[in-house]
Amino acid sequence: MLLDPRAILLFGANALLLFLMLLVNSAMASWPVYLFLLGPMLVLPALYLRHRSYFVCIVLTGFWVDAALPVPFGFFTALFLGCGALIFMVRIRFRAEHNYHPILLAHAINFILLVTVTVVSGREYFGVTIFWIHVLSTSLFSHLALLVVAPWFFNLERLLFEICRLETEPDDFPVL
Amino acid sequence: MAKLRLDKFKPLVALGVFLVAWWIVPTVAKSFLKLSFAEFQAPAWVAGSYLDDLEGFWSRNMHSKKDLQVAGQQIARAKAYYQFNAQRADTLDAEIRRLESILKLPSRREYRYEVARVIRRDLSAWWQHLIIRKGRDFDIPEGAAVVFAGGVVGRVVEVNAFTSRVELISSPNFRMAAQFAGDDRPVVYEGVAQSGFGQPTGLVRDAPQDLVANSKEPLQLVSTRLGGTFPPGLAIGSVAWLEPGSTGIFQAGDVSLDPSLLSLHEVAVLIPLNPIEIESDAP
Repeated sequence: MLLDPRAILLFGANALLLFLMLLVNSAMASWPVYLFLLGPMLVLPALYLRHRSYFVCIVLTGFWVDAALPVPFGFFTALFLGCGALIFMVRIRFRAEHNYHPILLAHAINFILLVTVTVVSGREYFGVTIFWIHVLSTSLFSHLALLVVAPWFFNLERLLFEICRLETEPDDFPVL
Repeated sequence: MAKLRLDKFKPLVALGVFLVAWWIVPTVAKSFLKLSFAEFQAPAWVAGSYLDDLEGFWSRNMHSKKDLQVAGQQIARAKAYYQFNAQRADTLDAEIRRLESILKLPSRREYRYEVARVIRRDLSAWWQHLIIRKGRDFDIPEGAAVVFAGGVVGRVVEVNAFTSRVELISSPNFRMAAQFAGDDRPVVYEGVAQSGFGQPTGLVRDAPQDLVANSKEPLQLVSTRLGGTFPPGLAIGSVAWLEPGSTGIFQAGDVSLDPSLLSLHEVAVLIPLNPIEIESDAP
């Protein structure tokens, strides 16, 4: 098959996660809380799909996020592909059918994305203490939220596979 | 010796190919792609906003008749008050025009107010933006000023078919010309990184040395017509302290912005009726 239908399903789930993240952030705008939850979007596509489908899913997700956030267009797409490539190359080492490894990966990737956004978008404010307070609070709240959101999100993605009668196991591992 | 498997580098090769292709692709194609993705997700936000409106409508519908009568009475009073103010403003406006024609002053920029509902707030350490529910369908121009009852909100930075993105004055990338109320010397207002705790703040630079501010009588920072975007006299914030800036020639200080900037529901976009045309207006 040219494209695994699960790639489209995972992209849809990623779009939903972004929508919910922005909705919650919008509702809590007057609070000192900003949730940055992009990490889980890359995990299951990199662990479950063959390379072509993974690539399409990640590029679409990247463009979707780039269009929604005020960053240079293509920024998150390139970043997602970079982080996704790292997971993809060593995916044989992770147990995709349980949540433990995907949650750890989601935290690690979320942290990498957060640090990169900070470096790219906040270079001018590295010497300003309040900027770091905000970044630290964002990081703290985001990773606390990920403890709940990541397992829910991965279970939702697997549930969608079942509902749509698609393969619920990761694809074969080409790298041994 | 184990055979080297090259297929494990496939993701890295794909990443490299993508980066090279992205570098080669013309800007027009990237803009088209961005616009397409942005327009594709806009309906979800617009629909959500209309659902909010519907929720508000039904929650108001739950009020008793007595509550509605009281609210109607209050609105009638407010309407009478604003009608009187509108008449007074018309009279003063006519007087200003008469004096301007006598003194042969250059004409002022006139604006049309387009009230728009805020459908999303995106306030982080890296950016401070709002999304409003009006775009090219209401002729919102890029760079237009956005205001609310408390003064300046920000500037339109991106216009889509049905939505626009507004950069808040608290955003670290925001900058505008300003002046202190009662003092027509220009100063520079800048947005700064926000802590997220407490009310939003900004920074004023290039304030003259003779200005003194204190917490009992803070100086009011207002907009000036110098930038060409904002009409003069709109409130930006208050300055309780000024100290010598890095050059030592001018003063600088923190600007306390209106806390309601973080929870806006409706704003007004100022659309110039006679937009500045750079080629014809340049000296």
